[in-house]
Amino acid sequence: MVKSAIYLCLIFSALPAFAQRVQAELACKPAKTDFIYDCTIKLARNGQPLAGAAITVGADMPSMPMAHNVKPAKAKPGKVPGDYEAQLDLEMLGEWAVKLRLSGPVKDQLILHYNFDEKGAKPVIRSGRPLRK
Amino acid sequence: MDDYTIGVLTNIGLISFIALSAYLLIIAGEMSFGQQGFFGVGAYVAGVATAMYGFPLPVAAAMAMGAGAAAAFLVGLPTLRLRGLYFAMATLAAAEMFRIVFELIHFQREIDGEPVGPDGTQGFRGIRWVFENGVEPAGYLAMVWGLLFVVMILFLLVERSKLGATLRMLGEDPELARMLGVHVERFKLGVVAAAGALAALGGALYAHHNTYIEPRNFDIMLGVHALAYALIGGLGTAFGPLLGVLVDIGVLEGSRFFQGYRMIVFGGLVAVLLVFRPRGLLDEKVVHWLRARFISA
Repeated sequence: MVKSAIYLCLIFSALPAFAQRVQAELACKPAKTDFIYDCTIKLARNGQPLAGAAITVGADMPSMPMAHNVKPAKAKPGKVPGDYEAQLDLEMLGEWAVKLRLSGPVKDQLILHYNFDEKGAKPVIRSGRPLRK
Repeated sequence: MDDYTIGVLTNIGLISFIALSAYLLIIAGEMSFGQQGFFGVGAYVAGVATAMYGFPLPVAAAMAMGAGAAAAFLVGLPTLRLRGLYFAMATLAAAEMFRIVFELIHFQREIDGEPVGPDGTQGFRGIRWVFENGVEPAGYLAMVWGLLFVVMILFLLVERSKLGATLRMLGEDPELARMLGVHVERFKLGVVAAAGALAALGGALYAHHNTYIEPRNFDIMLGVHALAYALIGGLGTAFGPLLGVLVDIGVLEGSRFFQGYRMIVFGGLVAVLLVFRPRGLLDEKVVHWLRARFISA
């Protein structure tokens, strides 16, 4: 019994150690073709721009999970360190969960919720506050 | 394989779990519009287990299956008294209840200075087991399809056993089953719990593939798709739901030909199939013919 309790304590205390997580911002403007957006991604860690990351950008609709398979795009480094550029080919307007799969100096996946319309993309507000990234 | 192919194949595998759970209920004679609720239960339980308490994914998936089975059992207890459309409506209501509960849950722990855990409508971020354990997308795809393979073997074994025959008899004629000594209510409750566990396993894998879940992921759309996949693919064999998923996600989506019109094509396909092949592409007749031609010969 005591042994089991010790094992349980060990399991519960063995929480994974994380490095400081990466923060991301997205700015998108519509390209000339319908549903295609030119996006700039800003990556930062510890408040400093994160350069040298390899980013694959995908997207999914939260209300229809797994039903839309947007072709992932590889982001290219932008003009400023920490900036990356990618083109997103979405199937329709509305709320999309943009998935940034990072490799290189950091391996992670970030999910950013944005509403895509004819003018561009705006962060999703839910319960009166923007969704945490 | 490129990222896109891996992503599409992983999604086909993940959604197959919930399609198979809907199929299991259909062959037992019940149509559920609520399997997405148990998919959600699995996703949340497994996410909490790995992201907040550091359990490994296999343990978390087992916990999710247990929770999914328990939730389905509790929903089945009162709703299995209902029949047909009424049962379908009750399961939909139960799934919506689960979704609203997910919206109300705020249960977070601070890990390395960041709150982790379900945060109502803001969702549940940071389910990073896959990244922390260095599982590459191709590795995760193999994990999903490996588990799906095990599930399919179990289905095929059950379908060829006395249990499978009882299950189909229950779906065709519960009164006959009762007269032959089958405890119909207890048997159906077992099927409902097994289907809940299966959907929950899919949910657990989905949460870890996506790293983020939110209540909206588990609304009626997912349940309707699951049911449609089972009906399109066919009710003659467990390969039917897989075929349904492949037709929609693999062919319609994968081809990129239909683009934004895919949902219209998909809806039309369901309507046409329900008229001309009400038990799907791989219905009992086709499966019997295939068996007679390729297996018995």
